[in-house]
Amino acid sequence: MTAPVSFLGRVQRDRAAGRVTALDIGARRLTERRLAAAAEYPAMEQMRDAARAIRLDVLANLDRYLGRFADAVERTGGHVFWAADGDEANDHIARLAVDRGVRTAVKSKSMVTEEIELNAALAAAGVDVTETDLGEFIVQLSGDRPSHIIAPVLHRTRHEIGELFADELGVGYTDDPVRLNAIARRHLRGIFLNADMGISGANFGVAETGGVCLVTNEGNGRLTTTAPRIHVAVMGMERLVPTMADLAVMLEVLARSATGQRMSVYTNIVTGPRRPGDPDGPDEVHVVILDNGRSEVLGGDAAEILACIRCGACLNVCPVYRASGGHAYDSVYSGPVGAVLTPSLDGLADHADLPHASSLCGACKEACPVRIDIPEMLLTLRAEVAAVGLAPDWLRRGVRLYAEAATRPGLWRALLATGGLLGRARSSWLDSLPLHGAGWTDHRQFPPPATRSFHQRWKERTRGA
Amino acid sequence: MEREAFLDRVGAARSGALLPATPPRRGAPSLPRLPDADLAARFVARLVAVDGEVHRVDAGDAASTIDAILGRHDAAEFLAWDEEAIGVPGLFERLAAAGRRRVPASTPADAAGRLAHQAGYRELAAAITGADAGLAESGSVVLVSGPGRPRMASLIPSVHIAVLRTSQIERTLPHLIAARPALAAAGSNFVVITGPSRTADIEMTLTLGVHGPRHVHVVLIDD
Repeated sequence: MTAPVSFLGRVQRDRAAGRVTALDIGARRLTERRLAAAAEYPAMEQMRDAARAIRLDVLANLDRYLGRFADAVERTGGHVFWAADGDEANDHIARLAVDRGVRTAVKSKSMVTEEIELNAALAAAGVDVTETDLGEFIVQLSGDRPSHIIAPVLHRTRHEIGELFADELGVGYTDDPVRLNAIARRHLRGIFLNADMGISGANFGVAETGGVCLVTNEGNGRLTTTAPRIHVAVMGMERLVPTMADLAVMLEVLARSATGQRMSVYTNIVTGPRRPGDPDGPDEVHVVILDNGRSEVLGGDAAEILACIRCGACLNVCPVYRASGGHAYDSVYSGPVGAVLTPSLDGLADHADLPHASSLCGACKEACPVRIDIPEMLLTLRAEVAAVGLAPDWLRRGVRLYAEAATRPGLWRALLATGGLLGRARSSWLDSLPLHGAGWTDHRQFPPPATRSFHQRWKERTRGA
Repeated sequence: MEREAFLDRVGAARSGALLPATPPRRGAPSLPRLPDADLAARFVARLVAVDGEVHRVDAGDAASTIDAILGRHDAAEFLAWDEEAIGVPGLFERLAAAGRRRVPASTPADAAGRLAHQAGYRELAAAITGADAGLAESGSVVLVSGPGRPRMASLIPSVHIAVLRTSQIERTLPHLIAARPALAAAGSNFVVITGPSRTADIEMTLTLGVHGPRHVHVVLIDD
């Protein structure tokens, strides 16, 4: 069984709605910036190697680093909660909110809280939650979903956003991004300064110090962790680094890979609550460490995907992501990393087509700051899809036919000869293939068969030599 | 879930994990290998490149420079770190003489007091802080919170003025952490600030001053 609407169906829906061009342009620009930032920084490759070694070390010793991190958080006066899944995390945070008389909460952008749908749980507990990253604020206001892990409204035009603000915030229409920004700043500022609870994700947790590192450009991450009296950080359990020195290495590659910045505007490390004599900061800090399927991923074939630092570089270079619009992945995690992570976290049954949403061109692996071998994992997942009988019919039958022919030399040669004849008759690309090949040519052309097969040319070559 | 059960589950998964083999790590990671550069000059160029402003002055001119910046932005009020933490003696006296008022920075511990205090931050024009370090490669200033060092000062106003000394500039964050390993956890908040608050969320169009300051001025004292 595949998802009710396939990956392809969702792509077609978003393309029809004109949602893909803006995203494509934005993703290309982010790639150009990443390449420029890497080119002007002579230590980029050295730092990528170091970053990869750090992340793999963390995964290989994750339980030890988690224990160390939790001890350090508690030493600084913070509280740690261990959440086996999203429900445990949501229940805990909702209960905490009710217990502390929290009426309003502000959130800085966090993929992990989207993953567990925390906002719905808090709303059910009577807490008014506001997203404060400009992109996420727009997403929340319009009931949309993010299309890119670092630029959530990359698929939206300024005109749409102007109309949304006019409708929802009671302001005059403008499509000037500077004025739209000023409107959002004014609207959100009062909410920030009155909020009882601030909720963030975590780019990294530092095992050595118990620090939680949040990287933002707008400053909402800092406001979220400074203005409200309670700060709750939700962290996927794999997001650790052993030491501050290791964190510094990760930060050398993170912003350059994500947006092409040398550093993001605010790299913010929160180490426990406000200390005696501190003029401001939260009175309570709670760190929720979330498993939610991650330990199964760690024990499975795609463990390496947990080294991901969520920079989005693999999305921006992926030809399939750019042509599809970010929503087609049917998950908060889109693009190549999503194609591996979503089926791994959530099971193959509902996401059997995601590992196929790739041309295996390898651009993601090349762009990844920690060099995760995404194409290899997609192949492994495809094999699993086939092994449990979830592969689409046309593919299964097509591959069976191919196997029949390719294992019978006589038949194979005859087919090649026929192909050669066809190739001589037809030198342009083919618009349609018969039978099981139709699945291919529905969406792209097929090259004409070679007039002489590789076998023939090899024979001629060796004879000539 | 209980801590032990959680960690046992992770431990079981980790022990069988199919991770690429990597050579064991020994000690701290090596520092970024970069060709030599004039740290102060690079800091200035890189901060300007991200829309910050740098005012390179001798120690004796720092107070008047700060006063002039506040004047340029019509800031009659300012939030600030304590004078010793900024490191410019006589600064507050000079600003008071120019008719500028320092806004109290201490947030009360009770919930109602906190909200009442923070209401005063809504339209704050400017703030002055010191800095614990600068990073040349990115044009960043590093600030650690603590007594007399409110976090809000570098966050809530439209204009943030940070006072930095050339001797405090390190090449990159890894260089800083190697030189001063205790700094990052010395306060409950360690922040690396690289230019004014920005976003490109709407059609990739750069916009400054989203939630944080629209203007970042670094008064760089040659020492």
